[in-house]
Amino acid sequence: MRSKLLTAGLFLAIGTGYACSAIAQVKPETLVEQRVSAMRLQGKYFGPLGGMAQGRIPYDANIAARNAGYLEVLSKMPWDGFEPSTKDLKTRALPEVYSEPAKFKAAQDTFNVEVGKLVAATKSGNEASVKAAIMDVNKACGNCHDTFRAKAQ
Amino acid sequence: MPRHLPGEGAITAATASTASTRAGALAWAACALALLLPSAFAAAAGDAARGLYLAKAGGCLACHTEDKKGATPFAGGRALKTPFGTFYGPNLTPHAAAGIGRWSDADFVRAMRHGVRPDGANYYPAFPYPSFTGITDRDLADLWAYLKTLPPDPRPSQPHDLRFPYRWRYPIVAWKWLYFTPGPFASDPRRAPMVDRGAYLVEALGHCGECHTPRNYLGATKKDRALAGGKGPTGKDLPNLTPTHLAKWSDPELKDFLLFGTKPDMDSADEAMAEVVRNTTSQLTPEDLAALMAYLRALPARPDEPATSDKKK
Repeated sequence: MRSKLLTAGLFLAIGTGYACSAIAQVKPETLVEQRVSAMRLQGKYFGPLGGMAQGRIPYDANIAARNAGYLEVLSKMPWDGFEPSTKDLKTRALPEVYSEPAKFKAAQDTFNVEVGKLVAATKSGNEASVKAAIMDVNKACGNCHDTFRAKAQ
Repeated sequence: MPRHLPGEGAITAATASTASTRAGALAWAACALALLLPSAFAAAAGDAARGLYLAKAGGCLACHTEDKKGATPFAGGRALKTPFGTFYGPNLTPHAAAGIGRWSDADFVRAMRHGVRPDGANYYPAFPYPSFTGITDRDLADLWAYLKTLPPDPRPSQPHDLRFPYRWRYPIVAWKWLYFTPGPFASDPRRAPMVDRGAYLVEALGHCGECHTPRNYLGATKKDRALAGGKGPTGKDLPNLTPTHLAKWSDPELKDFLLFGTKPDMDSADEAMAEVVRNTTSQLTPEDLAALMAYLRALPARPDEPATSDKKK
């Protein structure tokens, strides 16, 4: 039993090691492409939520819950793409991403917390609280963009 | 409701000071003259309901409200970080000690049009009086009437936290002499009335150029580069609002952005602008929104500022 655990632990350790070294070897261009894709998909699934919160499109609890669920996963994806190796590539990431890592991390955390609250709100089924949560997520997006993302070209 | 139309005095003073800027030293005399005049017309009775709309169109709320949930609107406290230091929007409620409850009508007009405090000191142009000077007498009276209806709040205004030489207010006199032309917005009969209205909303009330026009090293907006994209308070490059890029957005796209903060590619506005959308552009009447857009469309296309903060583009 004990030796089985040890073996499993060893394999797990080796596996993790591979996964990490695999990430480290990803080309910076690929990392940028992937994190931008994660952001774009968040735009895709957040867009209708924003429309519902502002009354531009009719509220649909099912779509809101589905999109919130997608966002919960998507909202965690971009961050490990901000590797120092990508620093000098042409992107809209401002130098503050790398010069103020703690602040950047805090902005991510705030965002992830707000998305978590949105998911919880969609489970409660209360339209008003879902809409309020959507606006809070929107603010968290924009707050991070204020500091860490350059203007569009 | 009967309304006293503003006295002629202000208009004369404005014309005089515009001309005298060109004439150089005469500006002093004109400014001094202008400072004496507001009391002549400030007594006009304002319409508070209209003032509320103007306060939205003027975007007063953001700088004069603390940046936290549950903050009292207009009780002051927002930090504006600039290269010169951090400014804090003061309390605008009519509280006698903490706010502007002791101000006379003339004090308000003098602050907005001339950038001068009731005690005679100059405001830093972080308070965008270079734009607000263009607000018409009637609109000033209505804004003032609205502010007086706010519940007085005792939150004390926070002193600004400025870097060394900027703590002195005296140099603002020179700054104003160089860069500030007081006087209400002058309609231009050569352009369509809608464009003219849009110009008033963008240039005077909305003070869009305070962020979207590039500034020189003394923090004055470059008039010949109006709305060609400035720097936010933190030094971040902000978008060019002339048709250079905006021409690629259709009218419905631009309108969607100004109403909801959603860009054509489903991206959303950064929070600084999202707040402007929530507080101001989405609150405009359909006519004013159309006028604002018409004015932006009618601007000459100006090239972008050379990028600095987004070094990579």
